[in-house]
Amino acid sequence: MRHDATMPGGVTCLAVAALMAAALLAIVVRLKEEQVNSAALHGFEMGRQSERLIQTAAARGRILDRNGVVLAENRLVPVIAFDALACQKKTWNETARAIREAIDGAASAIGRRSPVSDDDIRRHMKKALPRPMTVWRDVTPDEAARFFEHEKDLPGFVYLASFERRYPLGSLAAHAIGYVGRDRAHGLPGGEKFDYADFEMRGRSGLEYYYDSYLRGVPGEKTVRVDARGFARGEETLVEPKKGLDLVTSLDVSIQAAVERTLEGCKGACVVLDPETGEVLAMASAPGYDLSSFVPVLGKDLYRRLSEDPALPLLNRAVGGTYAPGSTFKPVTALAAISSGISPDFTFECEGVFSLPGMSIRCTRTWGHGEMSLAEAMRESCNPYFCRLGMDAGLDNVREAAFALGLGGPSGVDFPVDAAGVVPDGDWKMKRYSTQWFPGDLAQMSIGQGMLLVTPLQMARAVAAIGTGRLVVPVMRAGERGASAGTGFSGEALDAVRAAMRKSVENGTGRKGAEGVDAYVIGKTGTAEVGSLSNRRKNAWFIAYAVSRGGDRSVALAIVVENGESGGSTAAPKAGAILRSVFGTAKEAENV
Amino acid sequence: MFSVLRRLNFVSFLSTVALAACGTVAIYSAGHARERIFYDMWKDNLATVLFMLVLYFVLAFVDYRKILKWFSIPAYAGAIVLLALVLVFGREIYGGKRWLWFFQPSEISKLCIIALFAHVFGGWKGRRGFKAFLAAALLAGAPLVLIACEPDLGTALTLVPALAAMLLAAGVWRTGIVAIMAAAVFAALAVLGAVHEAEKPNADPVRREKILNALPLKKHQVKRVKTFLYPESDPLGDGYTLRQAKISIGCGGFSGKGIGKGEANRLKFLPPSVSMNDFIFCVWAEETGFVGSAALISLYAALALSGVWIALTAADLPGRLLALGFSVLVFAHAGINTAMSVGMLPITGLPLPLMSSGRTFLVTVLLGLGLVQSVSIHNKTKEKQ
Repeated sequence: MRHDATMPGGVTCLAVAALMAAALLAIVVRLKEEQVNSAALHGFEMGRQSERLIQTAAARGRILDRNGVVLAENRLVPVIAFDALACQKKTWNETARAIREAIDGAASAIGRRSPVSDDDIRRHMKKALPRPMTVWRDVTPDEAARFFEHEKDLPGFVYLASFERRYPLGSLAAHAIGYVGRDRAHGLPGGEKFDYADFEMRGRSGLEYYYDSYLRGVPGEKTVRVDARGFARGEETLVEPKKGLDLVTSLDVSIQAAVERTLEGCKGACVVLDPETGEVLAMASAPGYDLSSFVPVLGKDLYRRLSEDPALPLLNRAVGGTYAPGSTFKPVTALAAISSGISPDFTFECEGVFSLPGMSIRCTRTWGHGEMSLAEAMRESCNPYFCRLGMDAGLDNVREAAFALGLGGPSGVDFPVDAAGVVPDGDWKMKRYSTQWFPGDLAQMSIGQGMLLVTPLQMARAVAAIGTGRLVVPVMRAGERGASAGTGFSGEALDAVRAAMRKSVENGTGRKGAEGVDAYVIGKTGTAEVGSLSNRRKNAWFIAYAVSRGGDRSVALAIVVENGESGGSTAAPKAGAILRSVFGTAKEAENV
Repeated sequence: MFSVLRRLNFVSFLSTVALAACGTVAIYSAGHARERIFYDMWKDNLATVLFMLVLYFVLAFVDYRKILKWFSIPAYAGAIVLLALVLVFGREIYGGKRWLWFFQPSEISKLCIIALFAHVFGGWKGRRGFKAFLAAALLAGAPLVLIACEPDLGTALTLVPALAAMLLAAGVWRTGIVAIMAAAVFAALAVLGAVHEAEKPNADPVRREKILNALPLKKHQVKRVKTFLYPESDPLGDGYTLRQAKISIGCGGFSGKGIGKGEANRLKFLPPSVSMNDFIFCVWAEETGFVGSAALISLYAALALSGVWIALTAADLPGRLLALGFSVLVFAHAGINTAMSVGMLPITGLPLPLMSSGRTFLVTVLLGLGLVQSVSIHNKTKEKQ
């Protein structure tokens, strides 16, 4: 201390010490303010921000047919789940091991091994720690009983209800109903705000897809507080989920079943419409698939098998399959011709072939039909007659008539698939094939061949329009009325075509389409030749419009069968069977 | 040997060891909130502490006069070179060039500059003259400018009070030093006032521009001051960190949540990128509560004040300056860091001595404290002779 007197800086040291003490004291005072006086406030803020927002799934609405038959509903799946908190250990590894042991212990109590792997446990801990982890699905009553017997010895395990889709009718109307897949809230608008979300079912195709938001309901919200390591500590429901609405479809299960019976073993499709309201009474596509195998989710293997199947079972041919309409287009040609000023009484000498420079179209009867009227030509499905008619009417008129009957564009149905088809012209051909339009193209088109493409739904709609005189937008919900508009054809033209189509089913190619049907039927067969020259195939068509004897009930129908023999022998009998199931069988054959 | 051990300043030594232990625990806790590679960070820290404690004793037993005489000038020159090198070859992280290979030259340079000042002004007869003041300005200015170029304003801020205290103690043109310090305090208050005025929630934008343009500050610096004054103005950036820092400290309560159980830390509300370094105090405060944080502040008080005591009782002026300067440096880090964490000062990137996980600074602090111990051990030796 001897040096102190002579050494400078003593005062500075003391001043510095005083400043240090003062500053640190100030910090301690502030710490006391924050940690003791305001601790509750900060604790509250921390609590608020350590809450996790969870979206809870709402029960999905059912899908019913027009008479209330259930097409899709929810099945309760009993689940035993596990809350990881019960196994919280010092390290994640120990926790994972403890969970494994707990699950294996519970497995012997419940009597079933759990499918949960160690990787599943780790994934759950990493991604959804505060949520219960599903250990057993589809718990049987026996297993449930054993669980509740041992519940006290199985801390952390809970018995929960989960839901999955059920399609009680299996493959019936499978394409129309569609199917669901799993979805997370993050797929929904506003879903990003949730930390976790229950799996929800989301429609992937068909009505399940189109009416997803309607069926889906409104998810609920709840919060769960997590501790420092992310384990759940109590939850609170903020919003109860709201069940989705039931969708009553326009489908009629009895008609649908009849349709599917006739299509069994074939490739093809059929649509049955209510021509007045546009309601789709049946929509079938074959081959189909069993919807029961699509729950809880459409598995990868099954999907691959179905999508690689050359018969294309996943394709909904009724709305997504585009075919050449063949002779079912002839009524359209007839309407075009009459509208363009050609008399309904126009006759034409069929010599068995229709020749143009550079091409010829043969008739079904190689030696020719001879002199033909419209009705006779329709009855016999005479190709040269309609080629002549189409050529005389001109491309613009034929196209206009096709558009007026809803061909060449989407129908506007409330369904995710609604193919537009093709009603070609010169521009379209140039764009598609880079060749110019030949007169022969129009001749081909007049008999429904060539580049013309339609869907069964479009044809059903078209024949409905011929029957009623109004073009209606098809609808899939019962009680709806599709928007309709006049076709623009004169009553005279429509009557002439209807009368001709009547001939076709009375004693023409479409005989079998009305055989024994207790209703007034008009119709037209079609046999569209497709494929390359070496691989010619025939798609058999039949379209029909039928009104019950009392006039109180009517249906429009279009059916196509791939690789058939002919419209009259392949498609018409099927249509007849369908119509008989709708209207009943006539008591006397001459009533037809 | 035994008599030498008795002259060891036990308050300084024990608070050093206690702080390093607390730091290891806090790094353990903060590291476990991060990716797996940070889980073992505490072991690295502990190993560094143990190794450096050996060096600490080596330095403590060697006479600091010899060290100052032989090493202070080359160390200073080396520091200048490294500071220049880091500006050229440094790795850029978070917008600052502070890293050269595996260390931060600016941290080491703090000790080198203090040692040089102790050496130069402790033994300079004419130190009260204006020449000495100029020399001080030059010797301090060169590294400070280089450090400010990185930019590492925090380091510059902690070094200035340490050097000022040394110069004041040495008697170098007191009026000038006091005047400069007063001016600095005034300037700081003026900046605060100006930003406060300019960034008022419904201030006139033209006026705001005018005021901000008149300030000799960079945009991000203005932003930090603004965030400090109006934390709610930047809820996702610095304001977020500040708010989370306050919440985490506050929700620790009186006795804390227990080691490893801090939600702010473990749930990463406190950004993990800073929780092991600049905001480690928050981790400690949340998990040990007011009891722990007040104890930690007390340990810093013990460390700093024991250093000042060593300065007071030093055998000669270089020893006094060395102990005083380094104590002020440590204190400045601890004070500014903790004050920043509780929202008393704007956010500046400063490590908390012996707590934060930065190895360069840990090494620097333990070397410096070893030197301070040397001053303590060698004060009475001379008296006896």
